[in-house]
Amino acid sequence: MKKNKTMIFLFILPTILTLLITYVYPVIRTVVMSFFKVESLTSTTADWSFYGLSNYGKVLTSTTFLTSMQNMLLIWIVGGIITLALSMLMAVVLTSGIRGAKFFRAAIYMPNIISAVALATMWIQYIFNYDYGLLNNLVTALGLERVKWLGTDAKFWAMMGAFIFGSVGYYMLIFISGIEGIPADLYEAATLDGATKVDQFSKITLPLMKGIIKTTITFWSINATTFFLWSKMFSPIDTEASTIVPVIYLYDMVFGGKGVSVRDAGAGAAVGVLLTLIIIAIYAVMNLLLKDSDLEY
Amino acid sequence: MRINWKKEAKFLPGYLIVGIWVLFTAVMIGWIFSASLSTSREIFTGTVLQFKSGIHFENYATAWNNQNVSVFFGNSLLYSTISCFGVLAVAAPAAYVLSRWNFAGSKTLRLGLVIAMSVPTIMIIMPLYSLTVAWGLKGRIVLILLYIMLRVPYTAIYLLDFFGTLSRSYEEAAYLDGCSPSNTFVKIMLPLVQPAVITVTIFNFLSVWNEFFMALIFTSSESMTPVGVGLLQIINAMKYTGNYGGLFAAVIIVFLPTFLLYIFMSEKIIAGVTGGGVKG
Repeated sequence: MKKNKTMIFLFILPTILTLLITYVYPVIRTVVMSFFKVESLTSTTADWSFYGLSNYGKVLTSTTFLTSMQNMLLIWIVGGIITLALSMLMAVVLTSGIRGAKFFRAAIYMPNIISAVALATMWIQYIFNYDYGLLNNLVTALGLERVKWLGTDAKFWAMMGAFIFGSVGYYMLIFISGIEGIPADLYEAATLDGATKVDQFSKITLPLMKGIIKTTITFWSINATTFFLWSKMFSPIDTEASTIVPVIYLYDMVFGGKGVSVRDAGAGAAVGVLLTLIIIAIYAVMNLLLKDSDLEY
Repeated sequence: MRINWKKEAKFLPGYLIVGIWVLFTAVMIGWIFSASLSTSREIFTGTVLQFKSGIHFENYATAWNNQNVSVFFGNSLLYSTISCFGVLAVAAPAAYVLSRWNFAGSKTLRLGLVIAMSVPTIMIIMPLYSLTVAWGLKGRIVLILLYIMLRVPYTAIYLLDFFGTLSRSYEEAAYLDGCSPSNTFVKIMLPLVQPAVITVTIFNFLSVWNEFFMALIFTSSESMTPVGVGLLQIINAMKYTGNYGGLFAAVIIVFLPTFLLYIFMSEKIIAGVTGGGVKG
């Protein structure tokens, strides 16, 4: 087949332009901007003044940012453990040979398909509602006092619970495809040798799924780092310390929010760079760990 | 088929776990749907499922007309459909060429697409905002262009794999018959990867319909607001309107399109989630 240079050029040109305009240029500009004093995103580069690492200094000493990082860390670790454990549990149940596995699989994944804003609204306006909400109905049915699920104390955990519910289906699908990739005769042999289901899970499923578990940890880490929507939905008008995450901090600082008198796009860029560095670090660590676990079966 | 109860009993804990989870989901959506047909008073007195004062379809009319859901819905439909076509127009030719020929920079371009897929939005959103201001771009076109461009890397990479599986004999035959290379692409190669095009388009549609972050930042007027941001505005206005039935009707309207798509396409969607790119 002949190479048609004009055709190749015309066919890839729009994609190249897209990459340059929406990725290469913005990433470079964000990195550069993080070293400059920039108040407004609409200011021209002529108004920028070199600021060294001051943006990073400002961000890293801000109590609001540190609170947001703390919340993010909690989501990452506590939310991550619960989500991945629940997803794995669902995946194991659905591959154990129960009836209606396809239906259950589709139903559990469903929250990932619908608008997260709609899903968050369902949780906030129904499940967690103080007056008529599902949880408080259960609580009063048990003869206990109503709980302020969306009060300052419980709000963060309420948000995390709702977020976990919305996430489990996705990781479950990845785990299911991993489990289905394990040859069935391994389990048959184990059963013949008298291994229990728990033994089979810890001795066969888990070790063989190492690679997939690491992939899901990477995905989860990226989701936790760029967490935004659920925090915005749980504190829609004023940002609150209980639900703030780094991207909300960035959003308020760059696009305006409560307690932000002067916008600071330079510091916002510094937050963006810091979060990206965290993601790159996670990728690097995961790749390092992945290297020695290439099992053949 | 006869059910072996002894065998099924062994699975009881499993049934309980997934059963309770799915039951919870069903109760939540069922209640929201009933509430969308009830009055605020019924919602607060906990008599949602009884429909004592009748079924209030007017909540949907209120949401659709007075709370501007019609505008949000129209905008989201516009953004989702136009960007689905737009992204195919940009990404499919590139994916085809990249799967077929090695040329100067083809490896860099492939790598660039893969890296672009993992660039977090926060890294690019600020300069993109500056660009739209500097270029004087306003209104719906801003989000349409952004959604197209942001879906290009994923779409191109997804289609690339599928074009790669096609035999070169198709092109050779077309060439012998005097078909031009670009005609071969449009009339022969593209239809051959139709299943992949459909899957990737479903994912693009879902992603644009559910997109929130970009929409929140770039929406400057009511007339260009998509459903996600629109719903947030309705919630924020609840303090003043107090129309809970209308709110839940709006939630159902926003939820329904992707939910229906899922009902009909769940097999294809689920296969697509783990089929493309996710490897152990």
